[in-house]
Amino acid sequence: MIKKQFSGSARRARNVVWNAAGRYDFEPPFLAFFPNGKPDQYFNMVVGLAEKWLELPRIWAFFERYGGDRRAEEFDEFLWLGIENCVYEKELPERPILADLRRARAEEFYRMELTRQQMEMQSMPVYTQQEARWAQTLGRHAVLTPREKRMAEALRFSGALDTDGVLEAMEAFLREFFRYTPPEKPESAKRAGALARLLLRREHRRQDTLLVRAGTGEGDHPRAVQMKHWGLGRHAGPTEADAAYIRAVFGQSALTEHALRGLENELCIGGDEGCRLWFARPGQPAEAIADRDAAEVRASAARQKERNEAFLNAHAAMAQGSIRRLATRIDTIFSSYLRQMPEPARMGRVQSEKAYRLPVLNDPRVFWKDGEETEPEIVVELLLDASQSRMNVQEILASEAYIIAKSLEKAHIPVRVCTFRSLRGYTVLEELKGWSEHGCEGIMCYFAAGWNRDALALEALGRLEDAGMRGKQRIVLVLTDASPNDSTPFAATDALIPREYEGAEAVKAAEDAVRSLRADGLRVGAVFHGSTAHLENVHQIYGHAYVRIQKATQLAQGVSDLLLMLLREARTD
Amino acid sequence: MEDLFTFLESEGVDAALLQGVKAFRDAHPVTAELKERVPQPEYFYYGKKTWELALAALLAGKNLLLAGPKATGKNVLSENLAALFARPMWNVSFHINTDAAALVGTDTYDGHAVVFRPGPIYLCAEQGGFGVLDEINMAKNEALAVLHAALDFRRSLDVPGYRRIDLREETRFIATMNYGYAGTRDLNEALTSRFAVLDMPVISEEDLQKLISRRYPGINVKIRDQLVKLYGELERKAESAEISDSALDLRGLLDAIALMEQGLSSGDALRMCIVNKSFDSYERGLIHDVIAARIPGDLARKDVFPA
Repeated sequence: MIKKQFSGSARRARNVVWNAAGRYDFEPPFLAFFPNGKPDQYFNMVVGLAEKWLELPRIWAFFERYGGDRRAEEFDEFLWLGIENCVYEKELPERPILADLRRARAEEFYRMELTRQQMEMQSMPVYTQQEARWAQTLGRHAVLTPREKRMAEALRFSGALDTDGVLEAMEAFLREFFRYTPPEKPESAKRAGALARLLLRREHRRQDTLLVRAGTGEGDHPRAVQMKHWGLGRHAGPTEADAAYIRAVFGQSALTEHALRGLENELCIGGDEGCRLWFARPGQPAEAIADRDAAEVRASAARQKERNEAFLNAHAAMAQGSIRRLATRIDTIFSSYLRQMPEPARMGRVQSEKAYRLPVLNDPRVFWKDGEETEPEIVVELLLDASQSRMNVQEILASEAYIIAKSLEKAHIPVRVCTFRSLRGYTVLEELKGWSEHGCEGIMCYFAAGWNRDALALEALGRLEDAGMRGKQRIVLVLTDASPNDSTPFAATDALIPREYEGAEAVKAAEDAVRSLRADGLRVGAVFHGSTAHLENVHQIYGHAYVRIQKATQLAQGVSDLLLMLLREARTD
Repeated sequence: MEDLFTFLESEGVDAALLQGVKAFRDAHPVTAELKERVPQPEYFYYGKKTWELALAALLAGKNLLLAGPKATGKNVLSENLAALFARPMWNVSFHINTDAAALVGTDTYDGHAVVFRPGPIYLCAEQGGFGVLDEINMAKNEALAVLHAALDFRRSLDVPGYRRIDLREETRFIATMNYGYAGTRDLNEALTSRFAVLDMPVISEEDLQKLISRRYPGINVKIRDQLVKLYGELERKAESAEISDSALDLRGLLDAIALMEQGLSSGDALRMCIVNKSFDSYERGLIHDVIAARIPGDLARKDVFPA
């Protein structure tokens, strides 16, 4: 069974949306929460019903059109009231309980006491319209000016409207009451800037592109918050557009949607809640989307492949030497390791240090005899950090990974090579060389871009088991700079403002992930390439199981030492 | 059991197949001492197509493997089939430690001598019964090798150190196999090839409505339909791996209706029979959300059973 340890409420809110929509294959663009962080069940249902009855992407595109306007959030809230009435009328015959749920939501409105800060953030015209809606639901009287009455009337979008009708009604509402016509082109970039100026109402996701970011790991970009005031919040997790972007850059996932979901349920919890996972293989057919950035990334990855190959060719003599040396060392280490293991027995060679157990504890197993079984077969995985911070050493990293993998292959040790990077809320593991693949040329597809959420990537790799390694001892070598950081902050489960995914906390998360992999029987070590400033991090994350490589000639010695260390550790366990 | 025939006719199951079953029953009448082993099903299996596939396979002398996720009625169907063919049924639940002795039989001491005590497969072969091999994929493949000869054209069972018996002509084996998204093993090819495999579909909305109405004729139709939709929503949620399939329990849904009939409120009944079947508090929250979006928690018996 997959163990589940959920926390937080974003997933629960998403479930309400999906359930109402009757589909689970889309990312809701909106989620609704109460100020205490609990999902607003009724409004999340409304979002789901909007997906069921209307074409949500078109509605979302309309919201995007006025995104640059400073009143954007206010408009959102008005228009969702309109949509609420429309889908309510559509769904009611099929789901009679909706009337009760709507009444309960109205009562909740009157029960809710807003703090002063929330009151200040709340738009009064929106508040009035909400009050008008809920008062009417409960049969109460709300005091409204004639204009407010007309607004309330206009926001009761009829259940007979289809998507076109709703879009027209939304446009007419903005035109009549705000003399505003949303521009035809989306203004998402402008919008992000405008939103960033609003305390607690910032949105970050759309700026999180692959290539424009400097690789310092310092966060100066606007961040989102998960918890919004009591209306509708922008969804903190990746959106459908982000998913399309990931598909466009990395191609279809190598895992099924179902398997991915299962893994996400298991791993994207706590601080990683709202994050998504993706498993890619180079050469997968990519989805074509109208995103210049995605196309540019693919082109740049192709260029990088050529550069990696050119670099390896230019240093062929050095590489061949390293491979020869490392393969010999690995061969020696592993062949001595694979000899028959002694095991405790009732007869054989006496273990003097345990002899006391015979008279004192009546334990007769104080002898060694030659075991019948050898140690389980060993498989090695290389996990390469492929974040933007590796930008300047891409060719070197690719050739080092190539040397290590090739040496293992020569020594007949099965090896798999994966990279990891995070972008737009997705942590992407890309398999450059699979277990059964011969040749390590795939590693030349390595390119650096995005962020690195080490903890999630490590845990995901740990779960990425397949038939090739069942019952075998897995050794994971991480080629890392030990400086995890990601644009998606830690999920705020109890804090109002989420904490950035960087610094000590991110290192701690990675440390926990390594510990959990080790508890599962994996041997994890690091080949450290980072700066001295991060030396302490690598020590914290991997304990003493790491080697620092500063130049390529150290590789053979360093990696073989590390493997020896990990194998010894395995034996003493 | 005439009632089952009438039911299948009303469901539109192919008349020629039903005729075939009748001929089978006439050719192989059940003896008086085995009559009590012929099951009397509490529920009927709904699904015309599945019935037809299963009947055709059994009439052709094949063994059946019913494969499908939880709550697709594998056991209900196997019981229904034994009842329809009027054959005594032996049910063997497989587990990881199931071995040849548990299936075929073992030596035992009767106070005077060591004698052979036949196991369920042996009895089934000897008496011409229907052997239901429940959750066959829970057992190790090696343990099942003893069944190979019984399941293929040889139709014989060799009891080591004892004797070899031939299966009676009317003997059939129906295996069930649950596959989920985690932790279930596959059957090996040797075993799978000895069965006709029937992929069990999830019960349709319409069939579930019929099933509930047949069992609880007095139920308020509107509430029945909401319960059916609720079941569909839980199923979609389990399919998307948002919840485990512990709450996806058809028996649970029917039990909840039974408890409402006894006078429990809808909220309490659904909590006992569906929500609480998950032992993960977060998952319970998700299941509760789905129920709350369909069924009011305060429905009393008079609301659910107006008559």
